[in-house]
Amino acid sequence: MWWLKDVWVIDPSQNLSGSRDVLVKGGQILEISSSLSEEEVLAKAQGESLETVDGKGKFVFPGLIDVHTHLREPGQEDKEDILSGSRAAVRGGFTTILAMANTQPVIDNRALIEFVRLQGERAGYAHVLPIGTVTKGMLGGELVEMADMKAGGAAAFSDDGKNIQNAEVMRLALEYAKLTGLPIISHCEDKDLAGDGQMRRGMASARMGLKGIPASAESVIVARDLLLAEETGGKLHLAHISTTESVDLIRRAKTRGVDVTAEVNPHHLIFCDEEIRLTDTVLKVNPPLGSRGDRESLIEGLRDGTLDMIATDHAPHTLAEKARPFAEAPFGIASLETALSAIWQYLVLPKRLSLERVIEAWSYSPAQRFGLSGGTLKAGAAADMVLFDPDFSEVIDSAQLVSKARNTPFLQKTLQGFPVMVWVEGQLVQRNRTVL
Amino acid sequence: MKWQRKDILGLEDMSVEDIRHILHTAKVMKEILMRPIKKLPTLKGKSVVNLFYEASTRTRTSFEMAAKVLGADTSSIAVAQSSVSKGESLYDTAKTIQAMRADLVILRHPSSGSANFLADILDSGVINAGDGQHEHPTQALLDIFTMEEQLGDLNGKKVVIVGDVLHSRVARSNAWGLQKLGVNVTFVGPPTLVPVEMEGLGVKLTHDLDGALPGADVVMALRLQLERQKSGLFPSLREYSQLYGLTT
Repeated sequence: MWWLKDVWVIDPSQNLSGSRDVLVKGGQILEISSSLSEEEVLAKAQGESLETVDGKGKFVFPGLIDVHTHLREPGQEDKEDILSGSRAAVRGGFTTILAMANTQPVIDNRALIEFVRLQGERAGYAHVLPIGTVTKGMLGGELVEMADMKAGGAAAFSDDGKNIQNAEVMRLALEYAKLTGLPIISHCEDKDLAGDGQMRRGMASARMGLKGIPASAESVIVARDLLLAEETGGKLHLAHISTTESVDLIRRAKTRGVDVTAEVNPHHLIFCDEEIRLTDTVLKVNPPLGSRGDRESLIEGLRDGTLDMIATDHAPHTLAEKARPFAEAPFGIASLETALSAIWQYLVLPKRLSLERVIEAWSYSPAQRFGLSGGTLKAGAAADMVLFDPDFSEVIDSAQLVSKARNTPFLQKTLQGFPVMVWVEGQLVQRNRTVL
Repeated sequence: MKWQRKDILGLEDMSVEDIRHILHTAKVMKEILMRPIKKLPTLKGKSVVNLFYEASTRTRTSFEMAAKVLGADTSSIAVAQSSVSKGESLYDTAKTIQAMRADLVILRHPSSGSANFLADILDSGVINAGDGQHEHPTQALLDIFTMEEQLGDLNGKKVVIVGDVLHSRVARSNAWGLQKLGVNVTFVGPPTLVPVEMEGLGVKLTHDLDGALPGADVVMALRLQLERQKSGLFPSLREYSQLYGLTT
């Protein structure tokens, strides 16, 4: 049994933000109360061994749920695998992660869905929930067997990494997925507008002579998918929103009652295109980093609820792949181990976002949208839980990272504010930054 | 002045003093090239590697001859016959060159930023002989040298660069270098090839060649690649030449 004393509890599921004691027993939250006495706690332990944690100055909140990670297994285990990725997750404060389907082979049938789920269980760290593709082979044509894949454990469907270019296929997907109640996750990117662009089109791309991707490459597809969701009544989730225009479109669609949610990635909230240097392939990401104005719109959208969730889009790559000239390096930032800390340091400390909103957007909202357990500390819920120390600072060092990837913009930089204890179903899996 | 730089990667980050120093040296060197016996011991015992990933006639030959005039030993890596064709990355090639202890590497590469990338890896100097659509500093230095020969001090002069500015490393390097010397630079071309974000280089943009010509001291016409028509950036050579062709 665990007794977290005098800890600041943030649980958006019960509108709670205050100093409390938390008791965990048998893998579940037993209760959250004010100032329990030792006798009371020992009575509740009923002879079970008790570990007490002094929570003063620290926060406890539900384990984060990341709806967008690339774990690269099967097929690209040189970049990451489900074991290393789920270890990285709990090191970073995530107790549930959704694994994207663009592996090799792509996850487009029930057997592969069950493989990913099973690998997650074998790893035994974060809960790993597979996302299936929308179309067979991720080719943007025929739909996958959505009902069968849901029965095998699929949490959502997405051709992420590629956009479904054919609007009729997207319409059919939104319509058919209603059978499952699961959302279609859309990677909004018009192939022709994006072309072989390397970064956001703007003054920075023009100065460096890098081919630009216009903001419209995302927003025209956002507009299309919102209209299709509205027409079909389908359940739409928009991945990695990065432009002002997209935020405006989503805000308006929500007032019309469209069944849509959207996520934003930490790097789009923190960096912008003018910070990219020609040799910084670590900041090469898709969708590309936007302008300062975009960054402001995204923060505003997250504050007012237009953007429902934060998601990492953890995209691990090998050093050899990133150690190339900009145009030849792959897109993607590995972020499971740094994302929460980066958001704390760059957005919560400067008071751009409240910690309560961050936790809501990174645990409660994903649980609600994807119908997952977790995202709450209500009594009786599984104890997926994070103890966060706002004063803990760490140099992000290659030797400490448990992900296989090193493509993080924070490498060799100091971040402050880290999860120092993480429980999955009441089992301690990370302590003092070490994965157990 | 004492030359402090390890590399020449672009004119954007080069100081006016550095640019003037190079132009002054070039003037002296040009006199030497007019002599019957043109050989200097300046780089004797030094090795220079030409690493060209793109076709080139003038730039490559110029670098090779310049190195030989200065007494260096030159080698060329013919990319098509090298391990690059077996998939060796620029990073690996750089490590190989590093192990061979070359003193200077001249790089031409189709990717913007490749020269900066190489310079970060190598202890030896790197001269950028054109990286993607980013910079071509030595071409711009030569253009500036020629302009100064013809016009004297360039401060306050007006240079018009017409054509496919968006895809041109020569235009970018000239814009940086010329503006540092006090030149007013104007880019001219259709909006698809001279988009508004090019303003970030500090230059004036216009789509009207006839309006830009009066008062211009120098007009540079950039080469137009036919593949740009295929990608829809302009409708035809016919219309392009009507709008942006230089006629007397």
